[in-house]
Amino acid sequence: MAGLGWRWTRGRGAKNFALYLCVASAVTIAFLGKAEPPLFDYARSTLSDAAAPALSQIRAPLIAVERWAGNVTTMFSLFSENERLRQENTQLRQWQHVALSLQNKMHRYEVLLNAVPDATSQAVTARVIGEASRPFIKTMILNAGTAQQVKKGQAVVDDRGLLGRVYVVGANTSWVILLSDLNSRVPVLIEPAHRRAILMGDNTPAPKLELDVSDGPVKPGDRVVSTGDGGLLPPDLQIGTVMQDGSELRVALSARPESADFVQIKAFILPPPPSATEPAPAVTASAPEIPLVPQATIAEGISQRPAPPAMPLQSRSPDEPQFDGQNEELDR
Amino acid sequence: MSAVAGTVEQMFNHPLRLLASFLPLLLGLLLVFLINMPVSFTGGLLPAPALALACVYFWVLVRPDLMPPAAVLLIGLAEDLLSGGPPGLWAAGFLAAHWLTDRERDSFAGLTGVGALVGFAAVVLSAALAAYGLETVVYLRLAPVAPLLLHGVSTVVFYPLVALPMGWLLHKVVGPMRGGD
Repeated sequence: MAGLGWRWTRGRGAKNFALYLCVASAVTIAFLGKAEPPLFDYARSTLSDAAAPALSQIRAPLIAVERWAGNVTTMFSLFSENERLRQENTQLRQWQHVALSLQNKMHRYEVLLNAVPDATSQAVTARVIGEASRPFIKTMILNAGTAQQVKKGQAVVDDRGLLGRVYVVGANTSWVILLSDLNSRVPVLIEPAHRRAILMGDNTPAPKLELDVSDGPVKPGDRVVSTGDGGLLPPDLQIGTVMQDGSELRVALSARPESADFVQIKAFILPPPPSATEPAPAVTASAPEIPLVPQATIAEGISQRPAPPAMPLQSRSPDEPQFDGQNEELDR
Repeated sequence: MSAVAGTVEQMFNHPLRLLASFLPLLLGLLLVFLINMPVSFTGGLLPAPALALACVYFWVLVRPDLMPPAAVLLIGLAEDLLSGGPPGLWAAGFLAAHWLTDRERDSFAGLTGVGALVGFAAVVLSAALAAYGLETVVYLRLAPVAPLLLHGVSTVVFYPLVALPMGWLLHKVVGPMRGGD
C-alpha cells in the first residue's frame, strides 16, 4: 500500500489509472457495439448528420485537387485512351442495337404471356460525402437519409453497377456497406449458367464467390448479377465478372467506389400478386400509341419507374434510345 | 478544492492557454474528419492512412500533458464512428499506441530520419495488433491481415506530412500560447 501511495503521489499511478480506465472503456464499447448495434448506429448517424454540411463544403476543393492530380497522370496516355474509347464506343453502339431489339422482343413475349410485371423500383440520387476504406470496414457516407425516404438495406449503385447496400440511415445521411466489406454477404446469380452463389466480402477489392450445390459450369468472364432473393435488392443489377484466383472464384466488381461521386439508392418494391380474374390485355394492331416508358415522375429527388405497360410496341422505333426512367439526368 | 478552483480560474483568465491545451485533441479530431473525405491522393494505390494516430504519437512524444488517455479515447472513438467501423477497435488501438509511446518516450524521442519512421512503425504495429486482437475476440473471426498491413504502411508513409506541421504548431503556436512552458 505504501508503494501504491508513493506512486500516486508521483502522479504515475493516476496516469496509469486513467489509461487503464480508458482501455476498459474502449473494450466495453467494442463489446457493446456487437451487442447493441442500434445504439452506435444512432450515434453514427447523428454524427454524420451533424458533419454532413462541413463534409460537403470541404470535399469540393479536395475533389478539385484530386482531379487535377488525376489529369496530370492521364495527360500522358491521352492519345491511346482516346483510341481505346473510340473502339469501345463502336462496339457499344452495336450492342445497343442488339439490346433494343431484344428489349422489344422481350416486351412482346411478356404481353403475349400476360407475364407478371417486374417489381417497380424507386431511386434516390445522392452524393458521396464521405468514404472509409479501412482494415475492418469499407463504407461510404451519402447525403440522403430518412428525409429522402432512404431505408436500411436498399441497394446503392453507380453508373457501372452495384456498390453495396445501406446499413445506417440518419435524417439526411446514410451509410453504405460496400460489397468488398468483411461483413457483406449478397446473393448473386452467375450468367449464363444461371448458377446461384453468395458474394462474400473479405476486405479485398475482389470478393469471394461461394457457389451453391447445384451443377452448372462457372468460368472466368461470366457475368454476376443480383438475384433479388429476399426482396431487398432489385434483381439483375450488374455486379461484376467472375475471375479465377488460385483455387477460388472471385468477382471483379464493376462499380468503382473510389471514383463514385453521385450514386443511386434503389428501393425495391415487390409487385402485388396477379389477380386470377384479371383478363389478359388484348394485343391488337390498333392499340393507342403509348410510350414504352412513361415520363418518370420525379418528386423531391425521387424518380419512380412504372411497370412496363401491357401493350404492343410497334409504335416505337428501335433506333430511338430509351431511358430506363429511373433518373433521366444520369441516363443522359 | 481551492487549488482546483484556482487552476480553473487561471485557465479561463488565459483563454489562449486553454485553447492550446485542447489544440492537440482538436487537431486529432480534424485529421479524423479529413481522412474520411471521399478523396484519394494516391489514386487508390494506398488505403487512407490513420493520420490521427500520427497526431497522437507526436503529441504523446513531445507534450504528453496535452494528449492524455481520455483525449486519445475520444479521437479513437471519432475514428471508429466516422469511418463506419466497429466501435471501440481503433480507440483501443490508439490507446495501445499511447501506452507504448509514453513508456518508451526517451527511446523514441532520440530517433531522427529513418529511425523516427521505424519508431513510429513500431507504434503503428502496436495499435494494429491491439485493434486486430480486439476485433478477433469480439467478433470471433480472423480478419484478413493484408489490408491492415497496407493501412499501417500508408500511415507510416504519411507520418512526415503530419509531423512537420505539428512541429511547427508546437514551436510557433502551442509554446507561445502556453507561455513558453
